[in-house]
Amino acid sequence: MSTIISLSVLGVLILAEGLLGKKAWHLPTILIGLLVSLALTLSGWNLNLHYYNEMMIVDNSSVAFSSILIFTTFLIFMFAGHYYRGVQRPLDDIYAILIFALVGSVMMTSFGNLIMLFLGIETLSIALYVLAGSHKEAITSNEATLKYFLMGSFLSGFLLFGIALLYGASGSLNMDEISAYTVREAAHLSPMFKAGLFLLIIGLAFKIAIVPFHFWAPDVYEGTPTLLTAFMATVVKVASIVALFRLFSHCFPAIRETWETTLWILAVLTILVGNLTGLYQPNLKRMLAYSSISHSGYMMLAVLAFSARSADALLLYAAAYSVATVTAFGILILVRGAKGNDLFTSFEGLGRKNPVEAVCLTIALLSLTGIPPLAGFMAKYYLFATALEKGYLWLVILAVLGSAISVGYYFKPIISMYLKEGEGIKLEAGFAYKTHIVFLTVLTILLGLLPAFLINLL
Amino acid sequence: MFTKYIFFFLSTVALYSAIMVLLSRKPIHSVLYLTLTFFAIAGHYILLNAQFLAVVHVIVYAGAIMVLFLFTVMLLNLNKEEVSPKPVWIKIVAIIAGCLLMIVLIGIFRGYDIAIEKDPALTQIGLVKNLGQVLYKQYLLPFELASILFLTAMVGAVLLGKKEQI
Amino acid sequence: MGSGFIIYKFILASLILIISLVVAMYSTLIERKMAGFFQDRFGPDRAGPWGIFQPLADGIKLFFKEEFMPNTADKFLYILGPSLTMLIALLTSAAIPWGGDMVINGKVYPLQVADINIGILYIFAIVSIGVYGIMIGGWASNNKFALLGAIRASSQMISYELAMSLAIIAVVMMTGSLSLKDIVDSQKGINWNVWYQPAAFIIFLVCAFAECNRSPFDLPECETELVGGYHTEYSSMKLGFYLFSEYINMFISSAVMATLFFGGYHFPFEDSLGLSPNALAAVGFLVLFIKITFLGFIFMWVRWTLPRFRYDQLMRLGWKALIPLAIVNIIITGVVILIKQG
Repeated sequence: MSTIISLSVLGVLILAEGLLGKKAWHLPTILIGLLVSLALTLSGWNLNLHYYNEMMIVDNSSVAFSSILIFTTFLIFMFAGHYYRGVQRPLDDIYAILIFALVGSVMMTSFGNLIMLFLGIETLSIALYVLAGSHKEAITSNEATLKYFLMGSFLSGFLLFGIALLYGASGSLNMDEISAYTVREAAHLSPMFKAGLFLLIIGLAFKIAIVPFHFWAPDVYEGTPTLLTAFMATVVKVASIVALFRLFSHCFPAIRETWETTLWILAVLTILVGNLTGLYQPNLKRMLAYSSISHSGYMMLAVLAFSARSADALLLYAAAYSVATVTAFGILILVRGAKGNDLFTSFEGLGRKNPVEAVCLTIALLSLTGIPPLAGFMAKYYLFATALEKGYLWLVILAVLGSAISVGYYFKPIISMYLKEGEGIKLEAGFAYKTHIVFLTVLTILLGLLPAFLINLL
Repeated sequence: MFTKYIFFFLSTVALYSAIMVLLSRKPIHSVLYLTLTFFAIAGHYILLNAQFLAVVHVIVYAGAIMVLFLFTVMLLNLNKEEVSPKPVWIKIVAIIAGCLLMIVLIGIFRGYDIAIEKDPALTQIGLVKNLGQVLYKQYLLPFELASILFLTAMVGAVLLGKKEQI
Repeated sequence: MGSGFIIYKFILASLILIISLVVAMYSTLIERKMAGFFQDRFGPDRAGPWGIFQPLADGIKLFFKEEFMPNTADKFLYILGPSLTMLIALLTSAAIPWGGDMVINGKVYPLQVADINIGILYIFAIVSIGVYGIMIGGWASNNKFALLGAIRASSQMISYELAMSLAIIAVVMMTGSLSLKDIVDSQKGINWNVWYQPAAFIIFLVCAFAECNRSPFDLPECETELVGGYHTEYSSMKLGFYLFSEYINMFISSAVMATLFFGGYHFPFEDSLGLSPNALAAVGFLVLFIKITFLGFIFMWVRWTLPRFRYDQLMRLGWKALIPLAIVNIIITGVVILIKQG
């Protein structure tokens, strides 16, 4: 609760600063504010507080995931100064909407009632529709926002209809009561409840970009301003997956058979289609879009094999994925800034001219592939181990196969950087920017070496 | 009973105008039919004794949102009927998918015992006083947090609508 | 709910309909007389003594004028526009309490067609859909001036509706009820809301001018810019409907204002006069009409005194002055109520 309040106040504060015209104050305020609300979030550890008729339940998992979301946003905001350096227009609106989107994602990690889930998803989505179009002069940005908005609002209807049907069948929106209902009626579940469940899955699958509801993702990612794409690929994705995880692990464990097959098929499709299509992408940004799709497939494994350990694994996975993706986007911002595009050919010769950036990007991509001893490997290892424990042998085999396919595209920029001769480019990264990227890389390595820091938390 | 006939009348109007939204050639007619659908649905709310919901439905949807729709359609002057025809296979697939969804929904509601209130006309939950109690006590948090949603939407509308001073 | 009850309601509704029409008819005459007064001339005085048959003459003229319909018009919507405007203008009167209860043979007959417990919201709903008639008519004429007039009307009405609703919220907070009858009865004697909520009244009055498309906010039919505005292409009785509904709107909004802010049919010392309920209801009805007449006079007074606003001024006034003012008014009202209670 204190997280939501502090973040909302932060957003309003940014708007007030914009009103006063203090553009230089925005970033310091945001960074400090994010750290403050991170501290406030962590202070809720082990308290298990319930707010307002269990509208919000702040348990340890929601504290952990909210912290990761806030921290990722912090990491992304570290790039904002560089990204928007030449921009004349006031930025308070974009920053404030980003913060409000974060509020929505925090609601999605700590909801105790389906109303709160819907409200969180809508806050997040509406903020993103706007952010996707925030680069108004670019036609790609306009395309992104229109595509995202039309499909997103349509799919929100599915989500809401699903929630309404669940309410109609179980008579409550409260997660505990729905869970009690499923336990009571597990043997003869009403068709209305099942239909509601599947509509809910469809709605959430769209927000996560799970195959076959992923078609919007590459275009939207490509058109959105790169900094905001980083937010979409990390915070939004993690929040949506966590919402799915929370919903299924709280409400529907008793009726596993009903949804197990569906999620199994969705996960396999996501992993295979995401990775195979990723092979054919011409540039890094679209490639990262497909990478994020396939990673949501891996994270679905945690939903399927839920247990205390799979929550741990999901936490580690979310952290590893977010940090590596943010690093990749950080370098992407630099390359796009210097070259104006992010085709793989633009990375040629980067290894010699800009060794630091090249190494950092390499480590991030290796981590996303799952090469030991990086964070991505440990995360995948724990995730697959929990899935194996639950007997999903084939799923894990397919997921490993998917990982193997993903080597094909994650290595493309690495090959371009080191093995192809190119004219090379001068990346205009300041010292702070470079330090931040190196910090992120160190974080990736540390998470790989010391996964115990996150793995036994929940 | 008398209300039964009103129900059938309203449902007919709602269904007919909803279908006409799709079938009418002119966008303006579609918008007006959609407004008519909203009125029919507001009538249904009144039959369920949810007066507040009915009136707010009319104020918000028919009175504000649809007027803005109408406004936009009029300004865009979409009357040329130049919507490009869709390929036949898309139409066929859409019809099949829509029918499947309809079958599923009919299957859900047919003969199913709903867990919530059996006779909504007898409950008083739709009256302003009771609704206010529920909204400000039980659902206080979502009610307040919705303000963040609206603030986001407002700031976003200004962001997208404002002229860029270059 | 016997059949007698339904017949009574039917008669009452018809009576109110006829009264509204007659009042609207004669408002046109009063308006022109008033214009004459303000411009130091006589106004119409040829048809009958003081020109009292002028509205009849106008009506006959409108009926016998040539029906004209543009070739390119959307026929159905072209006819629907004025009809809808008229219908919506007349609908509002159903929720207004026109007088106290009459008692005949021991049965109570309220002088209100429908005492719905969300009366105010009903009025808002009707006001909010009032724009459809103008928009449909303006668009269906297929004339750019008519379209511009319609668009002006709709944006103006949507903008001012907000301030209007916010102004009323303060009144509702004081009364604690959305029923118009309760609001009227809480203002017994001289305990009128206008004394407690002057800001709300001013905001409501300004918004009422805008909602009725009356001067100084009559931009939708601004002759100098738009020929005739949304009714440029209309003639004969269809034009008559548009013009007429403006007067009905004026009458009804005066009635709403009298109800909300001036105690409706209540008047000072009504209990000490010792009148029977029926006589009291009749007197109350007359008192309400005096109040309505006074408010209608303000409408006309403003029209013939103030010049027309420019469009950006209109929008700025609505969004940047009236809405913030109404919100501040709500906050102050809330604080005062809180202090009084606790």
